Amino acid sequence: MIIQGLKIALESLWANKMRSFLSMLGIVIGVGAVIAIVSVGSGSTESVTSNISELGSNMITISPRIMRGRFGQMSGVSSQDKFTVELANYMEEFCPSVSRVISTKQISGLFIYDDVNVNANLVGTEPYFREINNYQIGQGRFINDQDNQKRNQVIVLGSELATDLFENDNPVGQKVKVNYQGRIFMFQVVGVMKEKGGSMAGNLDNQAYIPLTIAMDRMTNSNYISSYIAQATSSQKAPQAVKELENFMVKFLDDEDQEQFRIMSQDELLDTVSSVTNTMSMMLGGIAAISLLVGGIGIMNIMLVSVTERTREIGIRKALGARNKNILFQFLMESLSLSSLGGIAGIGFGWIAAYFLSQYGNWPFVISGLSVILAFGFALFIGIFFGLYPAMKAAQMNPVDALRYE
Amino acid sequence: MKNRTIRVENLKKNYYLGKMKVEALRGISFEIDSGEFVSIMGPSGSGKSTLMHIIGCLDYPTGGKYYLVGEDVTKLDDNQLAIFRNQKIGFVFQQFNLLPRATNLKNVELPLIYAGITNARKREEIARKALEEVGLGDRIAHRPNEISGGQRQRVAIARALVNHPSIILADEPTGNLDSKTGLDIMKIIQKLYEEGNTIVLVTHEPEIARYARRIIHLKDGLIEQDEVVA
Ligand SMILES: Nc1ncnc2c1ncn2[C@@H]1O[C@H](COP(=O)(O)OP(=O)(O)OP(=O)(O)O)[C@@H](O)[C@H]1O
Ligand SMILES: [Mg+2]
Repeated sequence: MIIQGLKIALESLWANKMRSFLSMLGIVIGVGAVIAIVSVGSGSTESVTSNISELGSNMITISPRIMRGRFGQMSGVSSQDKFTVELANYMEEFCPSVSRVISTKQISGLFIYDDVNVNANLVGTEPYFREINNYQIGQGRFINDQDNQKRNQVIVLGSELATDLFENDNPVGQKVKVNYQGRIFMFQVVGVMKEKGGSMAGNLDNQAYIPLTIAMDRMTNSNYISSYIAQATSSQKAPQAVKELENFMVKFLDDEDQEQFRIMSQDELLDTVSSVTNTMSMMLGGIAAISLLVGGIGIMNIMLVSVTERTREIGIRKALGARNKNILFQFLMESLSLSSLGGIAGIGFGWIAAYFLSQYGNWPFVISGLSVILAFGFALFIGIFFGLYPAMKAAQMNPVDALRYE
Repeated sequence: MKNRTIRVENLKKNYYLGKMKVEALRGISFEIDSGEFVSIMGPSGSGKSTLMHIIGCLDYPTGGKYYLVGEDVTKLDDNQLAIFRNQKIGFVFQQFNLLPRATNLKNVELPLIYAGITNARKREEIARKALEEVGLGDRIAHRPNEISGGQRQRVAIARALVNHPSIILADEPTGNLDSKTGLDIMKIIQKLYEEGNTIVLVTHEPEIARYARRIIHLKDGLIEQDEVVA
């Protein structure tokens, strides 16, 4: 009965090729969308996750939270004062899961070389900044301890900034001027970094790096820093390190509600990324589900038309001995064939779409078996669910009325 | 005692058009024996088709009794009626009622499919034989719209025969055919009768009705005359 029903169903679908195709389209798009979306979601998450892991080793940043100002005044300034270079040493001392803490001071200035000038960030920092960020030297060297002690006016350029300023010239050994709040500072370029891309601290490539002491004492003349970068002793210890740092800062600033500082870790970033991509996937999945639903309604519509059109056929079949369940089965098979053919086409379509999107977006091409099974299963369910009513209508027709139908 | 194929007692059928009651059959009783050839005649609207539908297990009567090969049909449910239609009844309609997209062979196979014969080769074999019996052995792969009206009716007859029913019901089988083709069809029906089939035929035309050995005349839902033809 199953094979017979399937054969009858396929024959009648084939007889109405165009209509069958159009009524399948909703399912094709729905299933294809589910598969493509899940693939894009997991592919891009995978690539972002691996990017984040490359950012640096067990990095945790601690920075003052800029508090809401009142009457144009920054109310957070007083606590910002407490973010000193010395505090980094205390963090290292009181947080056993933290191996290293370095300070950074971020300012922005106008870089001038020859007749080129570019606005960019300057990061005053310590030599360990490079290791903690897993940042590779392209040419020359990075800031070293001596630079900090002797307050050498040296500068290391991110790859993008180097190209912007020097184009094809070799930057190492050249001198650049930096205009910071109206004062001009002269730096000697000692190194250019390799390309790195995004990081927890923003895009490293369009920044420049100078000794912390220069940024603090010479340029800003302040004794509080912009943020600390801490490194956990191991990635397993990272959550523990975050806790210790939190406790330390809460006590130090007497800030139970953590209003004055902010701690960000890679784990947290990964969590954020995955929650963002989850939300996205859910949203898009919802859209896909709606399109499947609409596809189902399309199938129901076509099946109802088909049942009405074939009233006489139903009458003939019944007169020849078809039972109600034979007719029910025949039409159910038809809607099921529609939705499963649509499902198969949708899998192919989604697969191809996912492949091209992964090429375009440059992330790994992954097709989750679960998404294929789920989308196809849902399509079958839709076929049965929306095919049931028209099939029941067909099965329950009175044979005499059906035979008389013109 | 004779072998009764059909026995109807005081058969009634009412239709309702809104609040209006239409009494299509108002109490009909007769018996038909196995191997009989009966014509039913009567003016339009006298209830001939209604009677055929009930005899053919396509419809329930409003009142009265109907026994088909000894079985009380009024007590059967939809499912059992379908089995009866499949096994005991062979229909031939005025409008042929073939499936237009199926080949003649497939059309004739339909009753076999619903009889549960799953072996496709066996089905084809039986259907081909039935088509050969009505002289259409060379048209099995054609579709209904590729053959003449007379040939279509012959396909329908082959389809009616294919399950060896207890009775063949033909409702104006020549109504859509010219008189010469109609006579060809009647020759086939005559042959089936001579082979021992039980046949009930509805017609307007006296010369067609005279092929039968007995004519039941209906009028206004009642039997007007039940005559035996010499
Ligand atoms: N489904 C129906 N609903 C309402 N009335 C019906 C229905 N079918 C038949 N009738 C009525 O029942 C009566 C008998 O109809 P039936 O079709 O049996 O006549 P008939 O003898 O076959 O006529 P004809 O020679 O024109 O085919 C008619 O008055 C007809 O209008
Ligand atoms: Mg009639």
